[in-house]
Amino acid sequence: MRKQLMILAAVALVFGAVNASAATQATNTNTISPTLKINVTVQDAIQLTLSTSAIAGSCTVNAGGGADYNVSFGTVDALGINPATCGSLYAPTTPGVTNSAYYSAYVLTPVYTSQAVATNTVKAYVSTNFAKANLSVVYSTAAPAGIGSLSAMGTTPATANTLLTNAVSGTAQTQYVGVEVAPTNGSATYTGADSAIVTYTLTVI
Amino acid sequence: MKIVRQQTNGHPRLPQVGTNSRPRKAGLFPFRFLPAVLALLIAAIISSNAKAGVITIALSTAPGGVTVSGAQPTYSAGFGNVNSLGIGSPAAGVTIITTGVAGGVIYSTNLNLTLSGEPTPHAATFSVYMSSNFSKSAALIAQSCYTGCGTGTSYSTISLNSGAPTPIVPLPGVSDGTYTISLGLLVADANGAGATTGTDSATVTFVATDTSNGKTSSVTLNLNNPSENLQTAVGLTLASAAGGLSVAPGADYSMDFGSVNGIGASPAAGLTIVPAGGGVIYSTPYLLQPVFSGFASTTATLTVYVSMDFVHPAILQLDDSAAAGGPYTAISKLSGAQTSITSTVVTNTILTRYLGLFVSGVNGPSAFTGSDSATLTYTLTVP
Repeated sequence: MRKQLMILAAVALVFGAVNASAATQATNTNTISPTLKINVTVQDAIQLTLSTSAIAGSCTVNAGGGADYNVSFGTVDALGINPATCGSLYAPTTPGVTNSAYYSAYVLTPVYTSQAVATNTVKAYVSTNFAKANLSVVYSTAAPAGIGSLSAMGTTPATANTLLTNAVSGTAQTQYVGVEVAPTNGSATYTGADSAIVTYTLTVI
Repeated sequence: MKIVRQQTNGHPRLPQVGTNSRPRKAGLFPFRFLPAVLALLIAAIISSNAKAGVITIALSTAPGGVTVSGAQPTYSAGFGNVNSLGIGSPAAGVTIITTGVAGGVIYSTNLNLTLSGEPTPHAATFSVYMSSNFSKSAALIAQSCYTGCGTGTSYSTISLNSGAPTPIVPLPGVSDGTYTISLGLLVADANGAGATTGTDSATVTFVATDTSNGKTSSVTLNLNNPSENLQTAVGLTLASAAGGLSVAPGADYSMDFGSVNGIGASPAAGLTIVPAGGGVIYSTPYLLQPVFSGFASTTATLTVYVSMDFVHPAILQLDDSAAAGGPYTAISKLSGAQTSITSTVVTNTILTRYLGLFVSGVNGPSAFTGSDSATLTYTLTVP
């Protein structure tokens, strides 16, 4: 027992010979080991971006311009006389009776992280419609085979259209959006510049 | 004729008998005046000395200074453990001065010098020289100071030449009184072949010189009580870098990345986002400053490892990089195989390093939200 106490005392003396006023500095030794504590709070996150499609001729999707993004179809008419400045044009099936359509591919990229589930939807509706009655927003979730493949987009949250279901986070998804021009005539103004706003909603459920 | 002194009790005092049996001529000296006579004699001697310009200096402990032992003209004191980084607590009565000091630190203590015997209107100067210098003279350099001694620029290296001592109290000098001076020990910063450690001692001689007649008085102070013990020292500090997260002192330091997510949306000030597979990296610059002295080696190694990992290591990971843009590599979680930051750092180098926090974007049952923390341990080793 006495011998053990002596050994303990000797060990204490050895360690006591190192004079450390803090873990950041010391004397009579050749090493020092300060520590750095890293604090963090992880949050779940969700993101939906729009971008220009790589498909040749697609309309450019720009940031800003009165909304988060903007795209311009240029000059359009109900007979499809003006060529598409970008994207594609469907001339009316029956000129003067049916609509023409100017449309383009674009890309939706939903991203979500730290969500308890991966199931999700991306929906869209026209939150601010064109002022002119002869204009409407159309969409397609796949490359349209014809003007009939383009559907009118809902104009209220309740009638929002589902564009994507269970999209993989971070995966770019090609979608289509366009403007149909009706051959409407009358006393109202049907010509001139106009714009509409589409609201997209990504929800991880 | 024999004289018999009459006593007050009426009995005559008998004459002494013996070899010196002659009766004392007590009646010739007024012994009752002896104390007064002695006092007059001492005063006369002092006055005589003063008139002759015999001055005396003495050393004593100053308030807040080291204890000065001994008596005039030989005293002793000492600085004890010292190092060139000023790390650790100095001995009682010793303060460490870093302001205005280049290439080391000054251990300083106050001493009282008392001057006496200076005749009016004479004045005396004080000076000092090393009557025996430290053997580790490149590392231990005695200095003196009289005013403004809180900064190193006020100190002068003490002369090694008794013929040209270093002035402490210069002309026009001072009169009798006690004067507090500072004795400094510059501990020079050195690594490499010239570095040295161990105990040492020296002797300082203080001289008072009468400016009127050139007479001097001197005392010696042996700096061996306790001896100076030159030690090695190491230190590693972390600090905030410009444009980076704040590095706060804690146990030992801490850094808060705030709210993070797997997308990298809305990073806190001081953080930049670096794309990474399966998530993002939040990156911040920070500073590492190693210091060391008294070593034969001029370079040291600096390593880091995750000594306490996140509770959710699949979601959060600490990365290291030498550049903001990367590449970022995961910091080792093994104390036995730590991530090397550098193996050739020299003392006082400020290293800018980038700490990355990888945040996984995983969804589903393994996803995690909430607070977590980890601890990094940095190790500076001088071989």
